[in-house]
This record gives sequence, C-alpha cells and structure tokens, in this order.
Amino acid sequence: MRVVIAEDAALLREGLIRLLEDRGHTICAAVPDGEGLLAAVAEHRPDVAVVDIRMPPTHTDEGLKAALALRQEFPGTGVLMFSQYIETSYTAQLLEGGAAGVGYLLKDRVANVAEFASALERVAAGGTALDPEVVSQLFRASRQRGGLASLTPRERQVLALMAEGRSNSGIAAGLVVSGGAVEKHVASIFSKLGLPPDDTDNRRVLAVLHYLRSPA
Amino acid sequence: MREQIRRVAGTIVRVPFTRRTVRELLYCFFGGLAGVIGFEVTVVLFAFGLTITASILGTVIGLLLLTLALLISRRLGALHRRLARWLLRSQVEAPARFQPGKGILARLDRRLRDRVAWRAVSYSLIKLPVAFVQLYALTLAGFGVADVTYPSVWLLFHHNSAGAPLVAVTPLPFGGNIDITSWPGTLLAALAGVALVIAGAWLARGINAADRALARGLLGPSRLSELERTRTFAVEDSAAALRRVERDLHDGAQMRLAALAMNLGMARDKLSDDDETPQVATVRELLDAAQRNAVDALADLRDLARGIHPPALDNGLAGALTTLAASSAIPASVTAVIGPRPAPAIETITYFCAAELIANATKHSYANEIKVNIHTERGGVLRLEVCDDGIGGADAAHGSGLAGLAQRVSTVDGRIDVSSPPGGPTVVTVTLPLKA
Repeated sequence: MRVVIAEDAALLREGLIRLLEDRGHTICAAVPDGEGLLAAVAEHRPDVAVVDIRMPPTHTDEGLKAALALRQEFPGTGVLMFSQYIETSYTAQLLEGGAAGVGYLLKDRVANVAEFASALERVAAGGTALDPEVVSQLFRASRQRGGLASLTPRERQVLALMAEGRSNSGIAAGLVVSGGAVEKHVASIFSKLGLPPDDTDNRRVLAVLHYLRSPA
Repeated sequence: MREQIRRVAGTIVRVPFTRRTVRELLYCFFGGLAGVIGFEVTVVLFAFGLTITASILGTVIGLLLLTLALLISRRLGALHRRLARWLLRSQVEAPARFQPGKGILARLDRRLRDRVAWRAVSYSLIKLPVAFVQLYALTLAGFGVADVTYPSVWLLFHHNSAGAPLVAVTPLPFGGNIDITSWPGTLLAALAGVALVIAGAWLARGINAADRALARGLLGPSRLSELERTRTFAVEDSAAALRRVERDLHDGAQMRLAALAMNLGMARDKLSDDDETPQVATVRELLDAAQRNAVDALADLRDLARGIHPPALDNGLAGALTTLAASSAIPASVTAVIGPRPAPAIETITYFCAAELIANATKHSYANEIKVNIHTERGGVLRLEVCDDGIGGADAAHGSGLAGLAQRVSTVDGRIDVSSPPGGPTVVTVTLPLKA
C-alpha cells in the first residue's frame, strides 16, 4: 500500500512512518501542511492519505479542507482523517460525497497498531473507517428522528460496528457471536429501517450512513 | 514661626520670576485666546445648526452643521490638549479615536452621538469664563511689567516733555490712571508694578490649575469609556488566553501522549501473543496496561481541552453547537442563522451558555427533546434560545447555574430571560452583543 502522510507534529509524523513501514507499506511522502499534501498526492497518486486536521498556517481545519479538495480531485485516493477531536460538523462535510474511501479516526486509535493498520487498508480499498466516537455522535444526532428506536440494543451494536466499516465476520468477532447470528441481526436491521439487503460491505455502510445523515 | 513666614513670603515673591511662570503666562495668552475663539466658533455653529434644523427644509444642512461643529469641537479639544501639554506640561491622555460607521447615515449618526465630541463642546462652553480670567491674569502681569519700567522711562525720556506727567496704568477693577509728576513717584509705580506681576503670576497659576483639571475631566478619556475599554480588553484577553492554553495542550501534551500511545502500540505489536514465556507475558501485560492508561489520559485531556476552548469554535458557532448537541444525552437539534461573525469572546460565552443550558435541561427537565436556536438580529444582537419540552419550573433566582450564567453574560452587557411555567415548556433566551 502506498501512503502519503500529512501531519505537522514531527514526533507523530515520524512515528506513523515507522509504524506503516514496519508493516510493509510504502510512504511516498510525509508533509507538514495541507498544501504539501495536495502537491504530494498529485505527484505520487498514493492509495491512501493520512491527514491531520489541525495544521499550519491557521491550526484550525486545514486538513479537512485539504481532504475535501483531495476527494474532489483524486477520487481514487482514500482519505483517513486523523485528529484529536471528533467534530460532528467535520464528519458531515467529509461524508457529503459518500462514505467510500473515507475514514475519520481519533489519534488514540493508533495505540492499537493492528486495528489502525486494518482501518487504513480498508479506506485504501475504498471502504470506510469511522471512529466509534463518530458513530455514537451520528447515532445521537439521528435518534430524534425515530426509526432507530425500534432496534434492539444488540441490533444497535451491530449497526454501530457496521457503520465503523466492519464486515460480518469482523462484527461477529467483536461481539463474540456466531456469523449466522450477525447475519440475522443485519437482515433484521435492514428490514426495520426499510433498506434492501445487500452483500457488499461498502454498500451496506453507505446505506447505513445515508440513513444516519438523512434529514428528519 | 518667623522662619516659616519668611519662607512662604520668599516663595510668594520668588515664584513669579521663574521659567514656569513664563510658560504659565504664555499658556494664559494662547489658551485664553483659543478658549475665546473656540467658544465663539462653537456657539455660532451650534446656534446656526440648531436654528436651521428647526425649520424642516434646513434639517439636513442643520444636521451637517451640527456634525461639523462636533468635528471641530473634537479638533479644538485636541488643540487644547496640545497647548496644555506644551505649556503646562500637563499630560491629558487623548480619548478614544472616532470610530466611523459604514455608510453616510451611520457615519452621521456616530458623529452626532460622539461622546468625546460632546464633552469637548462642554469644555469649550465652560472655558469662556476661564479664558477671561487667564487673559486678565496676563493683563495684570503685562501692566505690572510696564509699571516696573517707569523709573528708567522717566530718566531716559521725560526731559523731552518737561512738565507733562507720566501716566501709570492700573488694571481693572482699580480703574483710572495715575499721573506721576516726579521721579520718586515712578519708584512707587514700579513697586506697584512688581506687586501686579506677582499677583498676575499667581492668578495665572491658580486659573491654569483649574483649567488643567477641567481639561483632564472633559478632554481626556472619560471614566466610563475607559472602563468599557478595559473591560472589553479583559474579556477578549481571557478568551484569547484560553484559546492559547487549548492550543498548547493540543500541540504539547496531547501530541506527546498520542505519540506515546503509538510507541507503546508498536512495542506491543512486536511481542507475539503466542509466546508464553513468563517474562514476555509480564511485559505484554505491562504494555497493555500502559497503553490503556495512555488512551484514558488522552480521553481525559480531550474533555479538559474541550472545557477550556472547544476547537470547533475556531470555525464558528454553528459547527461547534452541532457537535455539542450531538453529545447531549437528550436528543438536541440546532438551527443556526448567523450573519456577521461575532467576536471570539462572544462566541466562547455563547458556546458555554449553550453547554450549560443543555446540561441543565438534561439534569432537571425530564424533557424528550431540546431545541437550540441561534441567530443574529439587526443592530448587532446575537440571540441564543434553548427550549425543552420538559416539566418547567426553572427559576433563575434559585438555580445557581442560571444565576452564574447571568453573571457571565452580564460581563459583556448580555441578558438572560427565562420562561419556565410549571409543566413546561422551558425557554431560556440569551441576548448578547456581537462585540465584547
């Protein structure tokens, strides 16, 4: 996997490079700001970009702006936002053009190297990786619209894991249940939410997110 | 005692013949003149302006004249301040600069309500009697000097017009002139002259001291505007300080902790899960614990930083409030219509008000739904409404939370109105200016 990293803190940037190279990925470029990111992606056309949100010069949402520009110009490149905060408004902007090849993780998640790497791989392959925090915020935001209220607690858990971008087997492992049980839950969720069932992970997530973001 | 009297007398006699007295007298001349002229200009312009304004046709011209008068008054104030600084060595600080509004009407309106200019006008009006006394003091001293020269004038020139008396001038209110017919008489006049110079000098000092106080009171920054200015500074400064603290946390401790968590993760990754050697197992356990602690610490720091300054505020209130609502335990929705962006300090206060009100509703209202509505209104007003469909009965007097909010909001002249009848619904409205 070919990766471009945009992170202004040298300590984290070097750490990420080492972590990913350790796992056999190629770091095409590591830059400290949004402008550098766009240039590096244009030059290297990587599979995925890891983007910090707060970068110079304004230290507010440079990374988000650069990521949105990336999504426009290079739809083939996955974007993993990597931040100290989860902001609902950022999530909404990021998911506006669909959830394919998008990730938004807290920096804490890098503590679990294997999970972080697999999330990055998912995004590079056109999948989705949303932080559990993002998912719970989206859940709360959509609660008032009803619909989800009809789900059982277990089905909510399954939906949350689905929204994070996990496959059925991943969900089964996470909840320590059988694959068949997960399939039953998923089918039940789709029928309760009025969504046609579908096999591929990505369309599933898209459907879930579409539902979560849909206006009241 | 005698020593004291002598000293005082010495001061009285000596002081008039110092440099400072020369300056004070010069100030009497320039300041007095400027005072008289300033008074006339002010009165004439105002009289014209007001009379013309009274007739319908002349309103526009009249208002323009008034504006001109106020503008000139401001300038006159600056002139008076400069004179006082130059000759009296009295530092009267300049008041706040004029802040022109956008558009002709706003500009006119600001001019007409320019407090600094109106205070300068009052100075110009009060200054007239002061100016008279100043000019009088100058006259006293001038006549005194003239009288002092009489003995020498007599000696030098009197033989030319033998027999004719020399005329010694005396200033009002003593009135009349005194004819001097002999040289010893001129000595008497000279003595009187010295007395006049002393009197003039002291009068100048006295009246100038009064003028100084007047200028300080009316031409300097007013106490009220000074307080407003410093309060705005304090409010904005504390908002900026909090923002700095949050940024330092983000770039410092949070970043280092994230790097630490990453390194621990990488170390943990190197240890295979299958290695059952006791030592390896122990290291694995310790690493796992360290990692959990690092992640927990990151979460704690994140909450702390959010309480200091929510990062989303940098992009405006709407986004920050959306995130805030998304973390509410009771479903909360946000509608935001924000025109011109409020000052950072106002945004911060608004955000924390909303956070507190949502938390209050969650704790006490038993509501099913919270609605947060924020919009800017004409005239530079920001209105935040937090409504819930709960049981009502919220009381600003008893809820220490609401009282605290009211206090916080009042630091920028904001207001909180609570409508919460028993049985609900509760609507709390926070009104804030756009600028601190």
